Amino acid sequence: MARIRFENVEKKYANGFHAVKDLNLDIRDKEFLVLLGPSGCGKSTTLNMIAGLEEVSDGNLLFDDELVNYTPPHKRDVAMVFQSYALYPHKTVFDNIAFGLQMRKAPRAEIETRVRDAARKLEIEHLLDRRPSQLSGGQRQRVALGRAMVRDPAVFLMDEPLSNLDAALRISMRAEIKELHQQMQTTFVYVTHDQAEALTLADRIVVMRDGVVQQIGSPDDIYERPKNTFVASFLGSPPINYIDGVIEDRNGDGVKFVRGDLMLTLPEEIAAKLRHSDRREVRLGIRAEDVDEAAQGGEGTIIRGKVNSVLPVGSDQFLGFDFYGEELFFRVSKDLSHKVGEDVALSVDLNRLHLFDKDSGQSLLW
Amino acid sequence: MTDVSQTRTGGIDYRRRQRLSRIAHSLVILAGAIVLTIYVIAPVTWLVSSSFQTEAEIVSVPPHWIPDEPTLQNFEAIFTAQEEEEITYETRSGQDPAAGGFIPSTAKNLLPAMWNSFIVATLVVILNLLVGVPAAYALAKIRFWGRDGSVYFILITRVIPDIALVVPFFLVIRKLGMLDSIFSLVLTYLAVTVPFSVFILLQYFEGLPDELDKAARVDGCSRFQALVRVFLPLSLPSLVAVVLFTFLTSWNEFLLALMFTQTEASQTLPILLAAFTSDFTISFSFINAAGVLAIVPPVIVAVIFERYIVSGLTAGAVKG
Repeated sequence: MARIRFENVEKKYANGFHAVKDLNLDIRDKEFLVLLGPSGCGKSTTLNMIAGLEEVSDGNLLFDDELVNYTPPHKRDVAMVFQSYALYPHKTVFDNIAFGLQMRKAPRAEIETRVRDAARKLEIEHLLDRRPSQLSGGQRQRVALGRAMVRDPAVFLMDEPLSNLDAALRISMRAEIKELHQQMQTTFVYVTHDQAEALTLADRIVVMRDGVVQQIGSPDDIYERPKNTFVASFLGSPPINYIDGVIEDRNGDGVKFVRGDLMLTLPEEIAAKLRHSDRREVRLGIRAEDVDEAAQGGEGTIIRGKVNSVLPVGSDQFLGFDFYGEELFFRVSKDLSHKVGEDVALSVDLNRLHLFDKDSGQSLLW
Repeated sequence: MTDVSQTRTGGIDYRRRQRLSRIAHSLVILAGAIVLTIYVIAPVTWLVSSSFQTEAEIVSVPPHWIPDEPTLQNFEAIFTAQEEEEITYETRSGQDPAAGGFIPSTAKNLLPAMWNSFIVATLVVILNLLVGVPAAYALAKIRFWGRDGSVYFILITRVIPDIALVVPFFLVIRKLGMLDSIFSLVLTYLAVTVPFSVFILLQYFEGLPDELDKAARVDGCSRFQALVRVFLPLSLPSLVAVVLFTFLTSWNEFLLALMFTQTEASQTLPILLAAFTSDFTISFSFINAAGVLAIVPPVIVAVIFERYIVSGLTAGAVKG
């Protein structure tokens, strides 16, 4: 049982660095919450505050309505997995996993069964007598998971636990972590800068930048309804394309987004939202996958440009696309053959457009 | 094949030349190593060798590196030195120095002085660890206000020469009523060695990943437990360095010991050894035997602890 609440939490370091600014966050019991952002955005600091490894400079941090601002880590019921694993090099795998239980003075027999149990689940039973230096990266990662798991903590914290693993292992461990969450029925807080990890694992994602929360929502919310250009750019591969232009609302002809030759007729749903704002200069966002070959769809949906580069990525291909001197990237089917230097026309999925205020970057739609 | 025919006709055998230069290179290094080894070993060899010689043999020309008639009389003299009749210039001047067999007037103090040295050095080692380890851990792993300033301050105290500290030390020690007590030495040696110990340990602790500290604390350790249960077992090499450094510094220290000690109650070995040279007569064989005894304990300490200087103990803590 653990619900974690941040109320107006600030974190300032001794050197004056303001790592976290006015954080308000309610982490529900048994939720899988992912803190997502670029390095230096304050996500690890937030995690360390939950663990008690960093002090809260101002505001309240509550575990189930109990103020824990000044509770040292060993008195909070949390377990943590680190990016570098942080295994104790002088202890065997067994002792590494057992250490947390030993420190809490669990009976010897119980330690034995719980460690063996965790080791069996993680398939590292045969490694219990080895030392960390004799293990591969993936095995060390499992030991680190075991060390956290065996304590059966109220809160399970993970600080970029997969970023030292190679790509294939990372994907299989992702699945295992998700399974672990279902088995353990406890609150998980997971820090990553990898959007794919965040989207696959999270119940909710918190996107942070420069110590400020940008958006909190389900993976679907964050991806489909980004609140600003930062969130929109941070998720998606290749990243979302931006085109600056103006909104024109000629009588009877519908609301249009115009930039040079490009004229996109906005669907009524989007147009309705724009009527509330008198903004005319906007930034249009088109996700790389939201285009199609121009055969279908008439005028008002077509974007034209010259192919700059063709990057096959196996399942499909990325087209680098020159549009008024800006490079846009679109993801298209690999069946289509395009050559560099060729003029292409792509039809845009108008229902999936994003519109942002050109100056503030805030979404005009959500 | 072409280059072989070329060397036959052209006359310059590059391969041979390269081989010769490699041999020459090795020879130069070997010669340098031999010179250096002799430079280091010779004085100690002479010390040990001459401690088994009679006074007559020591002063013979040319010197004997290997004693003609090895004798234990010098060591016997040290271990059997008694409070005999008072030794004065008159009783001494009648003896024949070349025959050996006479010992300095303070010879009986030698073993007590050695004991003093040992106690002082051991206490300094223990206290250094007790003070230095927690200090270094705090400086390495806790980001508190004034941390950097503290580190610089500790380092600065290390660069002040001992001689500049003698007078203030003396005043403090006198005020504390510790003159002519081994505790005056323990206290002042701590002041001299602790900064360096902290510095060694600080470097080492900073090299251990922060995440180990965090992991230990999340696993249920207090700060102190994290230090004792995780950091200390991983820091053996640096702890050994501190033990050796502080033991040897205390064992060899001369200046402060000269200032604060007066009688055999507190005199340490270096002071007593130095005093032998200003006795009525100088017995080289006796002094050399005492010198051999003086290097035995540090050598034992070094041999015991050297094996714990193992590298790679932290391998596997973090990825890499």
